[in-house]
Amino acid sequence: MSLRVIDPGVQCTVQATPRRGYRNAGVPYGGAADPLSMALANRLCGNPAEAACLEIAYGPASFAFDAPVQVALTGAPASARVNGAAQDMHELLEIGAGDVLDIGAAASGTRLYLAVAGEMAADSFLGSQSTYVPARFGGHQGRALAKGDTLAIENIHRIPFASTPVELRLPLSHSFALRVVPGPDCPEGAFDVNSSVYQVTHRLSRMGAEIEGPFPSLAGAGLKPSAAVFPGALQVTPQGLGYLLLPDGQTTGGYPHLLQVIRADRHLLGQLRPGDSLRFLLRSQAEAEAALRAKQALIAAWVADFRL
Amino acid sequence: MTAPEFPVIALGDDALTVLCGPSDIRHTLAHHLARDQSWIEVVPGKRDVTVAFDPHAESMALAMSRLRRLLESAASSPALARQMHTLAAVFGGEDGPDLAALAETLGIPAAQIIDEVLQSPLTVDMLGFTPGFAYLSGLSPMLLAERLAKPRVRVPAGSIGLITGQVGLYALEGPGGWPIIGRLQVPLFDRAAPNPFRLAPGDGVVLRPSGTL
Repeated sequence: MSLRVIDPGVQCTVQATPRRGYRNAGVPYGGAADPLSMALANRLCGNPAEAACLEIAYGPASFAFDAPVQVALTGAPASARVNGAAQDMHELLEIGAGDVLDIGAAASGTRLYLAVAGEMAADSFLGSQSTYVPARFGGHQGRALAKGDTLAIENIHRIPFASTPVELRLPLSHSFALRVVPGPDCPEGAFDVNSSVYQVTHRLSRMGAEIEGPFPSLAGAGLKPSAAVFPGALQVTPQGLGYLLLPDGQTTGGYPHLLQVIRADRHLLGQLRPGDSLRFLLRSQAEAEAALRAKQALIAAWVADFRL
Repeated sequence: MTAPEFPVIALGDDALTVLCGPSDIRHTLAHHLARDQSWIEVVPGKRDVTVAFDPHAESMALAMSRLRRLLESAASSPALARQMHTLAAVFGGEDGPDLAALAETLGIPAAQIIDEVLQSPLTVDMLGFTPGFAYLSGLSPMLLAERLAKPRVRVPAGSIGLITGQVGLYALEGPGGWPIIGRLQVPLFDRAAPNPFRLAPGDGVVLRPSGTL
C-alpha cells in the first residue's frame, strides 16, 4: 500500500534512527528532532522505537492512504481529522482505503510525528533512513516531501488499540526549561544561568535554534580552534546571540561553547518554536546522570526499546 | 607532554575532550581510541580529540577512568601510518572564481599562489562543518586570505578553498565562506563506496595540476 502527500506543510521529512559513528567525517546524527515523540508514535503502532516515521513541522498537513492501515500521531498538539471526523493524538487510529488524514496547525511546539503500523519505505544511507536534506542523505530521495509524493508502506501489521500514558505526553507550552551543564567555555561564577529568561528567534531549523537574551560577554568571543560539538550545545556568536544545536547541526564548531543541554532533556529541542521563552537550569554532572536515569525509567515502562 | 598527561575535560554530560594540542599525536590518539570500539564517536578537533560515551551504560567517572587507561596505552601505540593522497586539480577561471581577486589582494601573480599550494605537503587536520569537508594544514601562512564577507549559498563539490594557513576541500556541494581558488578533478565523496569519504583525519594530501602525472 502507499501513503500519498496531499499537503506536506512547512517541512515534512522521513526520520528514523540517528546516523551514528560518522561525526569524525562531518556527518551529523540527524534523526527525529524530538526522538521521544517519534518513539511514542512507533510504540502505538507496534514498531521499533526508531522505525521510519514522518516528521511534520508546524502543520497543517494532509495525507491520503490507498488501503486500510493503523497510524498514530504524537508530538506538538494539533487537531487531527480522518475524512473530517475529529481524532485524538496519542491513540492508535484506524484508517480505511481512500481515507484522508488532515492535521491542523500545531498550537504549541513545532513537530508532529506520524507513524504507520508497517514499514515506511525510505532510502538507507550510512546505516540510517533519516533524511538529511543539506547533503541529500536518506529518506525520500534525500529531500523533504512534496505534494503528490507517494511513500510505499510495506509489511503492514495489525495491533490492538493503545493510547500513550498521560504522564508521557509532553505538556508543551510556549515556555521551556532545559537542564544544562556548563560547556567548556562557561566562565566560572560570572554568569547567573538560572535567573535569566531567553527567547527563541525566528531562525530555527533542524540544524539549530537561535536564542536571544542576556548571555555573558565572553573574552575572545570570536572563533576558537574548531572542536567537536553535539546536539544540545549552546554556542555564543560574536553578535552575542546563542545558537543551540539540533540533530542536523554541524559536527564541529568554533564559537565559545557556553552550555550543554543534558542528555535527558535533549529530546525537547525539537519542540522549540520561534517566540517561545526559554530558561536554563544549571545542574551538576551527578544531577544530570540522576535526571537521565529517572526519565529513562519512566519511559522504559512504556517503550522498552527507546534510549534518550 | 605524552598521552597519559593530557588534560581531559567534560564536554557536556556525555562526552569527554582530550586536550592534546595541534600536533600529529592527535591523529594517532584518535586512531587508538577509535580502535578500542568502545566510544559512540571519536572526533578530532584542531587541538583536541573528543569521545562520546553512552551515559545509559556508564557514568562519566567510569568513562573518564577508561579513557585515562587508553591514554596510557596510547603512549606505546605506534605512530599512525599516514595514508597519502595525490589529487588532481584545476585552478582559476570558473573552477576557482576567487583566485584572481586573491592574487590582486596579495599583490602576487596567481601562478605563484598555485605553486605555493602545489608544493605544500598538506595534512587533513579534521573533517567537519559539513559532511566530508576537510580542513588541511601545512600551507605557508604567507598567503593571507580571509573568509568571504558574504558566504556563498552554493559551492560545487570538489571546490578548493583557501584561508590563511589552511586549505579547505568541499566533499559535497553546499554553502561555503572560503575564497575558492580551484576544483579537484576526483570526487571526495562516493555514495556507493563502503566508506563514502575519501579523506580521513591525519591523511596526507598533495595537489597536482590536472593533466600532469
